[in-house]
Amino acid sequence: MSTGIQLDNLCVSLGQREILTDVNFSIAPGECVALVGPNGAGKSTLIRAMLGLVKPSAGSVRWAGTGVRSMRGQDRAAAMAWLPQHGIISEAVPVLEFVKAARFRFSETRAKSLAAARSALVSVGADHMESQAVSTLSGGELQRVMVATLVAQDAQLFLLDEPANHLDPAQQTAFYGMLRRQREAGRGVLCITHDMNLLGHLAALAGQGSGPQSVRVIGLEEGHLRFDLPLDSAALTEALSSLFGLSLEAVTRGGRRYFLPGESP
Amino acid sequence: MNWKVVLLALLCLMILGVAPWVGGSLGQDHSGFILIQLRIPRVIMGGIVGATLGLTGAVYQALFDNPLATPSTVGTTAGAALGALAVLVLVPSGASALPLVSLAAFAGALAVTFTIAAIAASGRARINDVLLAGIAITLATGAITTGLQFQADMASTFEAVRWSLGQLTQVGYAGVRVLTPIALVCCCLLLWQTRALEAMLGGEERAHAQGVNIRRTRTLCLAVGAIGVGACVAWCGPIAFVGLIVPHLIRLSLGPTRRILFPMSALSGAAFLVLCDALGRWWMPHADLPVGVVTAGLGAPLLTWLVTRRRV
Repeated sequence: MSTGIQLDNLCVSLGQREILTDVNFSIAPGECVALVGPNGAGKSTLIRAMLGLVKPSAGSVRWAGTGVRSMRGQDRAAAMAWLPQHGIISEAVPVLEFVKAARFRFSETRAKSLAAARSALVSVGADHMESQAVSTLSGGELQRVMVATLVAQDAQLFLLDEPANHLDPAQQTAFYGMLRRQREAGRGVLCITHDMNLLGHLAALAGQGSGPQSVRVIGLEEGHLRFDLPLDSAALTEALSSLFGLSLEAVTRGGRRYFLPGESP
Repeated sequence: MNWKVVLLALLCLMILGVAPWVGGSLGQDHSGFILIQLRIPRVIMGGIVGATLGLTGAVYQALFDNPLATPSTVGTTAGAALGALAVLVLVPSGASALPLVSLAAFAGALAVTFTIAAIAASGRARINDVLLAGIAITLATGAITTGLQFQADMASTFEAVRWSLGQLTQVGYAGVRVLTPIALVCCCLLLWQTRALEAMLGGEERAHAQGVNIRRTRTLCLAVGAIGVGACVAWCGPIAFVGLIVPHLIRLSLGPTRRILFPMSALSGAAFLVLCDALGRWWMPHADLPVGVVTAGLGAPLLTWLVTRRRV
């Protein structure tokens, strides 16, 4: 019996098309993993398979030894929380109620749920908007509230699908600062991104975390796992270059590693 | 925010309390009979039916994340109408006593809604596809109903049309005694789903990730709603608009927070239906105007006005 999540020879087909082919990796508790790859590589499908939202055509996804699709909903929600790529909430519910809803997995009084939701909002610096309607928030504010729902759900592993995509540079920095605090609290993170420079922020998280120190980078291309390397490995530059079909150069500045496009072909 | 809830609740309770005394004069010597054997059971019946329709409408709208979802759009009402009509037309009149019509209406409502619930429970269909299937089955059921009516003789067609308008006419407490436990259990089960439906605010897949068993929630809400609404429709005929209008009125005045929307939809549904019935009695004391006519006549312009006012 292992802890954390384990993917064994995972294959997923949607209709006739095979989206994921023989994907193998595992994430230990508290680990930080970046999932990179070009558009259409199957990154979002991989997260959906981890959550049990899509059925594998072969292979398995197991949390602590149990298949995720046969777990009780509450147990699965205690293991993993998800920040989808497109969060559209059409109803004008107050932020506090919205965050409180993420406490579903707990059998507790409403007062307790509300207290947990409030402290989740404080932890992401969004407590001042608790009575605002979710549908009126700006992109950056909404993303903060979304992270608060993950904190309120209190899962061990956060699955983030391009979380900083629609944020401006200041908001992106603030967002990763927020993630760093979650990681310091011992949570694991799996973060999809195709922005290679955000990996620098993730490295900064690992430097100060109390969990396993290294950030892993997993490369996915056309449904195949191409590499699974630590962020500080020398081979990563080469691996990322071939993944994105670009020649990349690694630059270290202020202890962080950035990948910049080299000469254009 | 909270004072609005309290105010509306008080208004609803006031309507429910005053309604039995609205209408034609109670007379001198028969006042006890009219009030106790006719008016009060009628108001109780209206309250139960209105609460069930209002709550089920609100729950369906939340479940489908669609403002058009009601017991009528997923086929519950159409199924009931078909069942009732089949008995009214096919069984020789005289034998078609009220309990038989009610039973057939109930069976029809359940048959259609459980078909929809089965589609929803398969988990493969997206929730809006379930709604589309419901609309398709409603139309098909309506076509069969029309066909039956076309075949039928004048008397049973007339009876069927009367039934389809929706009536709260009661003598004594037989209906109340049958319907109260069914409606009470259904309403409690639906309110019990509040937390799961709150989690669905961010979509079904997010709710799944938060630990909600989507298939169970879908099936339970649809089936329980069908039993409650089916029982109401079986006894009173399809009463138009309550399930659609009441949740929207509450949403527009008190906001979409589920914890307030659901119970207040039930209470306001009860008050709305009883108010419509009382208005009908007051306006035409001797005509016994079907309450369905009043709910549609009053509700449709009210909703249109509220919705357009918000957009401007």
